[in-house]
Amino acid sequence: MNFSINRVAFIKALNVVQRAISAKTTIPILTGLKIDVTDHEIMLTGSNADISIQTTISTANPDNELQIQATGSLVLSPARFFAEIVKKLPDRELQVDVADQYQTTIKSGNSEFNINGLDANGYPHLPEIDHEHQIELPAKLLREVISQTVIAVSKQESRPILTGVHFTLEKHLLAVATDSHRLSQREVELESPLTSPADFVIPGDSLKELSRMLDDEEDLIKLSLSENQVLFTFGETQFYSRLLEGNYPDTSRLIPNSSDTKVQFAAGELLAAVERASLLSHESRNNVIKLTIKPADKQVMITGNSPDVGKVEENLEPQALSGNDLEISFNPDYLREALRVFGSVPVEVAFTSALRPFTIKPLERPDEFIQLITPVRTF
Amino acid sequence: MQVQNPLRKIIHVDMDAFFASVVEREHPSLQTKPLVIAKDPNLTGGRGVVTTANYRARQFGIHSAMPAEQARRLCPQAVFFQPDFTLFRMVSDQIHQIFHEYTDQIESVALDEAYLDITDNRMNVDNPVWLAHLLQSEIWEKTHLTCSTGISYCKFLAKEASDYQKPAGMTMISEQEALPFLKRLPIQRFRGVGKQTSIKMEQLGIKTGADLYQLSEALLINQFGKLGYILYRRVRGIDDRPVIGQRLRKSLGKEETFRHFLTDLFTIQTVLSRLAKEVCSGLQKSQLHGKTLVLKVRYADFTMRTRRLTRSDFFANDVDELQEAAMQILTTLPSKPGGIRLLGLTVTNLANLHFTNLTLPLEVK
Repeated sequence: MNFSINRVAFIKALNVVQRAISAKTTIPILTGLKIDVTDHEIMLTGSNADISIQTTISTANPDNELQIQATGSLVLSPARFFAEIVKKLPDRELQVDVADQYQTTIKSGNSEFNINGLDANGYPHLPEIDHEHQIELPAKLLREVISQTVIAVSKQESRPILTGVHFTLEKHLLAVATDSHRLSQREVELESPLTSPADFVIPGDSLKELSRMLDDEEDLIKLSLSENQVLFTFGETQFYSRLLEGNYPDTSRLIPNSSDTKVQFAAGELLAAVERASLLSHESRNNVIKLTIKPADKQVMITGNSPDVGKVEENLEPQALSGNDLEISFNPDYLREALRVFGSVPVEVAFTSALRPFTIKPLERPDEFIQLITPVRTF
Repeated sequence: MQVQNPLRKIIHVDMDAFFASVVEREHPSLQTKPLVIAKDPNLTGGRGVVTTANYRARQFGIHSAMPAEQARRLCPQAVFFQPDFTLFRMVSDQIHQIFHEYTDQIESVALDEAYLDITDNRMNVDNPVWLAHLLQSEIWEKTHLTCSTGISYCKFLAKEASDYQKPAGMTMISEQEALPFLKRLPIQRFRGVGKQTSIKMEQLGIKTGADLYQLSEALLINQFGKLGYILYRRVRGIDDRPVIGQRLRKSLGKEETFRHFLTDLFTIQTVLSRLAKEVCSGLQKSQLHGKTLVLKVRYADFTMRTRRLTRSDFFANDVDELQEAAMQILTTLPSKPGGIRLLGLTVTNLANLHFTNLTLPLEVK
């Protein structure tokens, strides 16, 4: 293997795959960076067994200033060490030359490093992806779907399937996450529906990592499936994630289709009030606040009371309210996290009774996005 | 040595078979029957633990924290009644309101047990026996429940006194009576002296408080550590612990020391299940639940390991759940030759159980 390349272009690609590389791993070779050089491109791979990221640098793009003298593959480990070297090299170009026994020489300007590489055959193979189940979504939309659902993913390993987001693809894309105390569901209409339906569960952590790599553009992201992996393709990059095994619980019947009390708020205003009230509830052993709704008196009040800390009370100014009187207690953190993803749009909060879950929906396009929060029972 | 405050007057109020009595009050037909407060083992497939039992059922050897199934075997004709903690809490609140008519210095130990410091009381009654009588009568009039009271100048003697004559008893231990009372007390009756300690006590020839009184502080500390220090004081009637209002429990745990060290997993599992049972029933009785489970292991070579498991959600007060979690922690600890001499299970990070976050019924299709 022997190539020379523009250092900035190389660093950019390195940064992308490094997201998947962890210093701590049960498979030692995964601390390394895999480099494959073919006639027209360099492919970099990083993986932590849960997620794998691959990106290519092509000779076709003149900015890369890529010149390939000899092809080949190797692993440089640890990746972080190699990346630090590349970032600190003096010249705008660098040259990588691999001799016998994977002895690697990195040259830039007057600087020259000799480091030991590893045989790439020891590196795990990435899965074959079936291109039958495949959809395309704009990056911005995918980011939105992720941010709206990952908040409800369970942080507990006791029921592993709940640590992921459940995707169902057919005419629509339906993404659902729940930790059993709250649920978040987003629906997106697909421009080109799938011929056969598919459903799978992607770990929440993979989605968070993917989301950080997506920009707010309308560029299309391609999603493809294999038996136990999902692949997101965007630009020069492929992002693989393992899927969670097991059956996701049936959440379709959990969302109530009627309500007895409805209140409309600007999401941001309700959020601010909940954050104020939780200042007190967080100091208390029972992290609970209460909402008292009296539609006849046009009154909605948020209260927190903990004998060991103190009290908080705030009258809210809803944009509209209707239905029965209600007093309901809940963990403010769930409502806070739910409201954050709405930004400043108007939302409708709908209740059935003090011991039934309540829902939060955007006033506009309420069928697309819904969050469910279970109350706290107090005696 | 610290000087006792001779002016303190403390009453320990212990409701008689509280949960069972409340149920009997609501269902008078049960008064003549052995009554066990636990879910019917026939309905739970043999799971479940006895919360408490009425005196009639106790005659059959039934006691709290016993598996409901075992209670059923001891007394097949017993009536099983599912505990209704909402009701128990309500009655307990009512009793606490009565306490507050007498003093605000109240330390609740559980729903059915409290210390009252009545040194300065709202009734301006100087005679503690008269005050205890007033309190007992008022509780009976307002709730139709009986309690036993113990009166003394410190907490542990007040508790001993309330236990002396049950049900509906009243016992006072004055400063002059304290020493003779303590000397007569069998060693097992001193708090902190459990199965293991009493074996050791017996080996040292200590059978009563009088025997304990003979021993020097140094010897007791040497033999029993911190417990020895406490016992040295207790047997002399010294206990300065104040009655602390709104005492919030920080943790609840049980531990067991073994004469024959544990080496096989099956026995360890059995012990953990027993500890989990006691911790669960303790939490249930105090209406608490916690987010952190702590496992303590002391090996044959006296090295000790404690490891904790914290969840973002509360542990259910469920024997199987706690036992499984304890086993999960155990697998992260090393096993050592010679086995385990002590196992302890504690739930901490506690909060009142009367706040429970409801869960969605997540079932797989």
